[in-house]
Amino acid sequence: MFIEVKNAKKQYGTGEAAVCALDGVDLSLEKGRICVILGPSGSGKSTLLNMIGGLDSLDSGEITIDGQNITRLSKKALTAYRRQSVGFIFQFYNLIPDLTVEENVQVVAEIAENPLDMDEILTALDIEKYRFRFPRELSGGQQQRVAIARAMVKNPKLLLCDELTGALDTKSSRSVLKFIEKINRGYGTTTLIITHNEAIAEMSDIVVRIKDGRVDSVTANASKKTADEIEL
Amino acid sequence: MKLNKRYARSIRANLPFYVSASILTMVTLLMFYLFYIAGTGINRYGDEFFSKYKREDAAFTTYREIPDGEIAVLEEKYSVTLEKERFAGVDEGEYRVRVFRPNEKIDLYEVRDGRDILSDNEILISAGYAAENGVNPGDVIRIKDRDYTVAGTFLRPDYLYMVENVSDDYKNVTTFFLCYMTPDEFEAQFGGGSISNKVIYTEKTDEAAFRRAINEDYFMSSYLSADGNMRITFVHEQADMFIMSSWFILVIFPLLTVALVCILLGRRIRAEQKLIGTLSALGYERSQLMRHYSLFAVIPGIVGGLLTSLAALLLAKPFGSLGLADYEPMRPEFTLPVWVAAAGVVIPTLIYFVAAMLRVRKLLKADTVDLLSGKVGADAKSRRILSKKKAPVKRKFAVRQLVGSPGRSFVIFLGIFLGAMIVAFAFSFIDSVQAVGKEAHGEFGSFKYEYILNSLENGKPEDGEPMLALQYENEGSSRFSLLGLDRDATLWNLTTVDGEKADLENGFYISTLCEATFGVHKGDTFTFRSIATLEEQTVKIDGVIKNGYQSYLLTSREKAAKIAGIDEKSYNAVLADKSLDYKSDEVTEIISDTTYETQMENMMTAMGGLIYAFMIIGMIVCIAALYATINTMITENGHNISMLKVLGFEDGQIDSMILSSNHLLLIPGIALGIAAAWGVMAWYCAEFVEVEHIMIPATLYPQSILYTALITLASYVISLLLLRRKIGRTDMIEALKDGRE
Repeated sequence: MFIEVKNAKKQYGTGEAAVCALDGVDLSLEKGRICVILGPSGSGKSTLLNMIGGLDSLDSGEITIDGQNITRLSKKALTAYRRQSVGFIFQFYNLIPDLTVEENVQVVAEIAENPLDMDEILTALDIEKYRFRFPRELSGGQQQRVAIARAMVKNPKLLLCDELTGALDTKSSRSVLKFIEKINRGYGTTTLIITHNEAIAEMSDIVVRIKDGRVDSVTANASKKTADEIEL
Repeated sequence: MKLNKRYARSIRANLPFYVSASILTMVTLLMFYLFYIAGTGINRYGDEFFSKYKREDAAFTTYREIPDGEIAVLEEKYSVTLEKERFAGVDEGEYRVRVFRPNEKIDLYEVRDGRDILSDNEILISAGYAAENGVNPGDVIRIKDRDYTVAGTFLRPDYLYMVENVSDDYKNVTTFFLCYMTPDEFEAQFGGGSISNKVIYTEKTDEAAFRRAINEDYFMSSYLSADGNMRITFVHEQADMFIMSSWFILVIFPLLTVALVCILLGRRIRAEQKLIGTLSALGYERSQLMRHYSLFAVIPGIVGGLLTSLAALLLAKPFGSLGLADYEPMRPEFTLPVWVAAAGVVIPTLIYFVAAMLRVRKLLKADTVDLLSGKVGADAKSRRILSKKKAPVKRKFAVRQLVGSPGRSFVIFLGIFLGAMIVAFAFSFIDSVQAVGKEAHGEFGSFKYEYILNSLENGKPEDGEPMLALQYENEGSSRFSLLGLDRDATLWNLTTVDGEKADLENGFYISTLCEATFGVHKGDTFTFRSIATLEEQTVKIDGVIKNGYQSYLLTSREKAAKIAGIDEKSYNAVLADKSLDYKSDEVTEIISDTTYETQMENMMTAMGGLIYAFMIIGMIVCIAALYATINTMITENGHNISMLKVLGFEDGQIDSMILSSNHLLLIPGIALGIAAAWGVMAWYCAEFVEVEHIMIPATLYPQSILYTALITLASYVISLLLLRRKIGRTDMIEALKDGRE
């Protein structure tokens, strides 16, 4: 398995204020698949994504990515893991406002071991013409495409998307999802998408439902649709 | 208001900022407080001591002794208090003693340690000498072949600064002291002794009429007003210097610091614009929000002010005592006036309060939607710099951090500037004093020794060059020396500031200090009068000779003698380029080419504590200012830092991207800080002429510039090291939750 999560537990706070974000999550995902994780707010899906992305650490349990157990990696090794293996896409893009489109992508390419061609990525995502613009000069959909380009330029093994269409209108959402689909097909990048939007689940290979910090169900999508076919 | 529950949480979250801003406020105010407390304490003590122990208004000598029976007549006629003080000088080789018979009306003494004299074999000695040489009550001192037991030590109002001769520039408590013995013992040892007449004037006194009458009846040979007597004036002069320093400090350092903290507070409030927008949208009124944020802002003012008052109370005595090193061992009380303490709390607090209110008001004028999206007041104008250039992104980012956020860069620059300025000012003070020691003698001339003789001689000395040196005064009783030299004199500096050689036979020349003190310039006429006879003379000034250390009027020996009404071949000083064999009783003073250097070294020894304390305060200010500004910068960059971490940048790489641009600010910050310090020192020195009657050249040696740069750099590095952990602790997830662009 490319991703293996075993009995992952995470609690925030202590005493009466303690919140159990993950309460023994088990999850497996094969390489090159698109997995959509669904769940209500506070169910623990973002926490799970952060753990898989090496942004936070588990209290107990294990996470293995492509054979590498990241659970007990040092801070330095986790940084290297994020740098080389993981691409993040967030709901609010999180672009660096002081950098242009090109620079936001280039800043990651400069530290990556095996970056993809930046111009190719910009062209593929149809943002080449905005390369000298700053994030605030772009629409939400355009910014999210820049975020995808930034995530992809490092040629990651794993693409983690946290509510990537949450701040976009339907048209922009569809456009962004098409690019995700295109990347998955083109580069074989394993993709994990967290969303509230049930419709997005239709374009995934695996649908995982999370509730109260536990995996409620894991379903293989027998009738996978394209981004153009789903109803957003 | 429920909103007020945020206070504790917000303060806890921003504790490093509040701590550094409070320290900044405290440290800079403390500098003002300490200098002010020292100055006012010394002044208050001086006033009370002078009043209680009947300080003279003037001392004079006459060729004819004033008969005892005439004293009361003169007192009645001129509304003065007059007393003949009897004294004698004794040279015991290792030490010199000026023995007094106790006065009854003027310049009384206070027993400081031990007790008063009760028998003829007991003496009191001056407290400074006793402290310097470890002499205690019960010890024995030999004077004129007789052993005396030291009953105690004393202070007297006309010798609180112990210069041996009134023309000396620095105290001597190592080989010279004053002594009291009983009247009977004084008579037995010295007979009548020498006489110095002491006088205290009243409001009814016509001083000029009194002096003329004394001169007509008893022939005045010398007259020294208290205003011209360094032993007396030094008390208030040094105290006034402290007070002047405190106001200099107040005008410059705390105001700059308060400005810096205000800017940082403004940026902190701007960073909260989303919350302000939300609260505004929820219906909070402008006045409620202004009050809410202003109360945050008063924390550094109140905490800093209270800490200042507390520190001032604790440090007032030890710090004030550092300022007493030059005096006889006085015991002033160093207290912090309540109004000053209150002002120290209220003024910065009020300024921070108003600054925060204005900032919130300005923010609330913006569109609420913009506030909610955090777009108000962003430094975005210069972001396009290098946008189309091929360069590493890290470099572009650093340049935009620097140029694209001028407000942020300015506060960091201000922190560096402020620290460098305070440190450089302290160095400049030391250098300027040392410059006096190194350069002063060169302004006098090339002689190695100047012998001030006890008596007027005639003709020419066997060795050396003769000089006539006499004291005169202007109408305001400010003194200067009338110097007369021979035409072929070579050892005195005769080059005018115009580069010409002074023509002594045909002209009068003044020193630059005389020019500054009396406001007389080349081409002007200068009117002055004899100290003894008050007879006025007027001469035309033909040039100015650079000398910031002695106020003199220079001409030929013949012309000086003619003004004084004495033989034209008279001289009372000898300049020599080698040591001459004068006996000790033939000279009153020997000035060598190292005298100034020694005096300035002594001065630095005495004042060094104050200056080094000032330098340490400068370093603390530098670190605290930089810590506060860089801390604010990191907070403002929290989102970028988080994102860089998520993208896989290591802490060191993030440090480099976020902080490295500030390194460039070190150069202008340090350079301008040093330049400003030199400017402040020059201003300070100009004011110093009025207080100390010496033109100290504002100096900053290259090594001091280097040390300033290194100290500022070290402070910068320390503040970065202290903040490095802050970058490491930045929470990726929390910051990204708020990462909406």
